[in-house]
Amino acid sequence: MKRKGMVLFILSLALALVASACGGGSGGKGGGSGSSDGSYTIAVVPKLVGIPYFNASETGAKKAGEDLGVEVIYTGPTEPDAAQQVKVIEDLISKKVDAIAVAPNDPAALTPVLKKAKDAGILVMDWDTPADQSVVELSVHQIDDQQFGEHLVDKLVELMGDSGEFAIVTGGLSANNLNTWIDYGLKHIEANYPGLKLVTERVPSDEKQQVAYQKTLDLLKAYPNLKGFLGYSTPAPLGIAQAIQEKGLQDQIAVVGTALPTDSGPYLEDGSLDVAALWDPGKLGYLTVYLAKHALEGNKVENGMDVPNVGKIEVKSDGKTVIMGPPTDFLKDNYKNYDF
Amino acid sequence: MKPIVLKSLAAIKLTGYEKILLGVFACLFALFSLTAPNFLSSVNLQSMMVQMPEFGLIALGLMVVVMTAGIDLSVTYLAALSGIAIAWALVQGWPVPLALAAGAGAALLCGSFNALLIAGTGVSPIVLTLGSMILFEGIALRLTKGGSISGFPESYYLIGGGHIGPIPVPMLIFAVVAVLTAVLLNRTAWGRGVFMIGSNPTASKFSGIPVRSVLIRVYLFSAFMAFLAAIIMTSRYNSAKVDYGSSYLMQGLAAVVLGGTSITGGSGTVKGTVIGVAIFQILSSALNLYSISPHIVNVLMGGILIAVLLVDYLVKMRQRAARLRKAKGSQASSGGNAG
Repeated sequence: MKRKGMVLFILSLALALVASACGGGSGGKGGGSGSSDGSYTIAVVPKLVGIPYFNASETGAKKAGEDLGVEVIYTGPTEPDAAQQVKVIEDLISKKVDAIAVAPNDPAALTPVLKKAKDAGILVMDWDTPADQSVVELSVHQIDDQQFGEHLVDKLVELMGDSGEFAIVTGGLSANNLNTWIDYGLKHIEANYPGLKLVTERVPSDEKQQVAYQKTLDLLKAYPNLKGFLGYSTPAPLGIAQAIQEKGLQDQIAVVGTALPTDSGPYLEDGSLDVAALWDPGKLGYLTVYLAKHALEGNKVENGMDVPNVGKIEVKSDGKTVIMGPPTDFLKDNYKNYDF
Repeated sequence: MKPIVLKSLAAIKLTGYEKILLGVFACLFALFSLTAPNFLSSVNLQSMMVQMPEFGLIALGLMVVVMTAGIDLSVTYLAALSGIAIAWALVQGWPVPLALAAGAGAALLCGSFNALLIAGTGVSPIVLTLGSMILFEGIALRLTKGGSISGFPESYYLIGGGHIGPIPVPMLIFAVVAVLTAVLLNRTAWGRGVFMIGSNPTASKFSGIPVRSVLIRVYLFSAFMAFLAAIIMTSRYNSAKVDYGSSYLMQGLAAVVLGGTSITGGSGTVKGTVIGVAIFQILSSALNLYSISPHIVNVLMGGILIAVLLVDYLVKMRQRAARLRKAKGSQASSGGNAG
């Protein structure tokens, strides 16, 4: 038993030394409150790290940090899990950052910890998807939710006609942004395209292309008369397209979704994905950091203000909802023009 | 109050292994205090005290099961189902105590499922709880369709977010439960049964230990710990979802083995498990404070589990070899076999 203890002891010392060497270098620089060296520390927390969409926003956020002279900590859970996200934020509060901008996996789950952050004097804002509006000071939206939700439906109708069966594959079931777009889309259908029939409730894929692919195959088997798919969250349309490609159904089924142009390339080429609509996540990351610094300096956001590298932003009448701009459609003939 | 606390703390004896473990904890704590930014700040200490209990409770439940040479793979999804029951009740408007009762009921129902099948049939616990894990996950998914249930009354938040003095309520719950578990294991017939069944189930059966009844209570205990963890999680996350706490199974097992509980059963202490849980907690918090990529944190946790299990295995092999040598030695010196 003593032997085991010694081994463990040495192992843990080695581990701790490695950890402190790895992190002490980078963490030590930004340690303590940012105000000690005059620059702010802004934490940007995505739904999860490791998918291309949030990697692109990280690039944008970090660039903004360089351009504006603020320290940006970009960290998040490895799964779109609200519980893990709560831990990440609790540790950011311990780090005494100046601002936390979060894309919540589940707005209700984060409310207690965001309240804690607010009480600790940290500026709390959301980006990409809304949190509980009573705890955030700024809410950064990439597009107008209603406009986007209806736009995706309009595109689908353009391709499959205004009657027929369709299915929805989404990301995480409790992601506010995705649900808002879907709900606006469904309202639009009810009002304007009553011939469209949704075969079953929205199917989650938890930001995993593999899951979306699998679920699509299941849907195709269960509902052989499907004419269209709507995919929400960036991995979902790719998974759907993958399944359509495998089954050779490019010409029978229309697929419209939210996806990055570079990843959509192969599927746009052969028609398994018809339209990918999105925005530049890098710009979104940049805008988030810019607005955080802007607010930390005590400024208010103005409707129509021009943000360098982003463009003119719209601010809603509540004074805190910011809209970055209109969405862009990526099609077979233009996706090559984009590098994200 | 203080003299009683001090006296009972002094009465706690630590085995050699536990002393080393405590030493490891102290060294890590000191290291992190010096190098991790804001490690000693009251915010971080509070944070750690609030994050530890849900994990610690699951680890305690796992410990008791592992001591009987069993395992409960379903414990985290059991906790999820329990949490979903509480959440559903709260959303229906039930008063908090009734909602908690609903959660307890759900947990004990699932626990009985495990308990009766494991104790009643000869099915190996790993196989059965693998099945029940998938079953519980499926039920939880069916009930929630993968989404989360939220909309709790403000008063419920006090469980996860309240404090008594500087200590968060979850930590108090954990401390009380840890002490009670130690008492149950060391001072009751059930506890003795747990040790013996883990050491040698056949001998236990023939010694008159009510193996079936002890095992049933073991799995009910694990389910109850899962229920307590569920209360804390639903209160902290203000919602219930099928996968909250799903990572605690593997980490819990790692902490249990780290704490000195043998994976083959028969030995284990609450103190060891608590220190093991504490080590994992400070490690996790420090790694976050260092801003180490969350992917690397997973790599390190996985690496620790493997290293700990390897060391445990090697030590067991050495001990067995030493025992064999000793036995052979005494056989030879007493003149070989009779006849």
